[in-house]
Amino acid sequence: MRVIVFVVAFLSLFQWSAVLAESLVVKVVEPYADMHTGPASEFPIFHVIERGERITVLKEHTGWYKVVTDDGKEGWIAKAALASTRDVNDRPLQLAQNDFEGYQDRSWEFGIFGGKLDDVNALSVSAAWILTENIAAEISATQALGDFSDNRMWLVRLQHYTFPEWRLTPYFTLGAGQIRTEPSATLVQSGADTRTNDLLEVGAGVRYYLTRNFVMRAEYKRLTALTERDEFEELNQWTLGFSVFF
Amino acid sequence: MDARVLGLFLAGTILITAAPVAVAQETPPPVIEPELDRREVREADIDSENFEIGVFAGQISIEDFSSSSIVGVSLAYHITENIFAEASYAQADAGQTSFEILSGGAPFLTDDEREYTYYDLSVGYNVNGELFITDNTVFNTDFYLTVGGGSTEFGGDSQFTLTLGGGYRVLLTDYFAVRLDVKDHIFSSEIIGEEKDTHNIQYTLGASFFF
Repeated sequence: MRVIVFVVAFLSLFQWSAVLAESLVVKVVEPYADMHTGPASEFPIFHVIERGERITVLKEHTGWYKVVTDDGKEGWIAKAALASTRDVNDRPLQLAQNDFEGYQDRSWEFGIFGGKLDDVNALSVSAAWILTENIAAEISATQALGDFSDNRMWLVRLQHYTFPEWRLTPYFTLGAGQIRTEPSATLVQSGADTRTNDLLEVGAGVRYYLTRNFVMRAEYKRLTALTERDEFEELNQWTLGFSVFF
Repeated sequence: MDARVLGLFLAGTILITAAPVAVAQETPPPVIEPELDRREVREADIDSENFEIGVFAGQISIEDFSSSSIVGVSLAYHITENIFAEASYAQADAGQTSFEILSGGAPFLTDDEREYTYYDLSVGYNVNGELFITDNTVFNTDFYLTVGGGSTEFGGDSQFTLTLGGGYRVLLTDYFAVRLDVKDHIFSSEIIGEEKDTHNIQYTLGASFFF
């Protein structure tokens, strides 16, 4: 029963989005617009929309727009072609900018990173909320798998971008979280225990705006685990990765 | 008397209704500004389909532990027409080693330890294409290669896993695709005794929705 409800809800979601999309009608004002058979420049051009023709925008896929002409020709046009059309009010269509200006205007960022936690391979995912042009709040989860243990960390941090108006900017992070260390099966037999410790983090990195909604990031972080023993445990983490922003 | 009043009323009505028609015939009709939908067209109104959610099932050959069926789920984000990032998670139950079967002795692993699960985060590159079934039945396709890292939990341990893959995606509609995937999961294992890099190759058939 729940499956049926889910399927119906899922299908109606598609239906709903189709209805939403139906109302978008624009007019081609450039001399022509190329229509491709698929959403990529490699797909062949099978039709040319002429100046003055009206097209209805159906959907978007990675910067390509599926459109249908009044005489029923359906195909994909590039973002640049749609951006130079006019809407019902004869005004240029306002498309979200997928360039550096759009980057400075972003509000969410999601990333994937690979690297080393001391000498162990580590993978991380992150989500960030951009608070101001200089400051972002980020949460991340990391798994580092070594020969002797499986380490999982989560951290919440604040990032400060030093030069947000530059494509390449250094940044600094300050955060806190937890690390859970589970010893390998062979060590469990020798009596080692799974333990969880609080973590503090300071770090620095550089980020580079690549293209569209891509950012490349390289980071170094110094992690301090607050253990019950007399000494703090210091960890060094190096990461390289990329993030996508919206 | 009543009939005359009614007659006058009717005549008046006809005059009033006919009058604008007569005027209209003399002067051209004014240009009427149609009541258009003045709503701003924003990109947010356009349905974006850049996420792909999928399920898959197939066979995995777990090194030293024979082959098993595997099922999993995946979530991808298509960043450009060529590049996508994908997370997947799958589960299988490993079989027995040849030694266990031949000797009939004590099993190497408990049932819990025999459960093989992995997740991976991959980046993929699409080579776009078309599949021509007949002259008029044409589907858009992608051949893709992926590389990624993740973790495999097997034999009571988690291991960092390098994943290399290739696949073929046929888009039956704009938002529904069938996929054929081949992936090799490489991780180091010492379940059998000495430490070695194991290759665990899987091939799966899947279905996915773009949303």
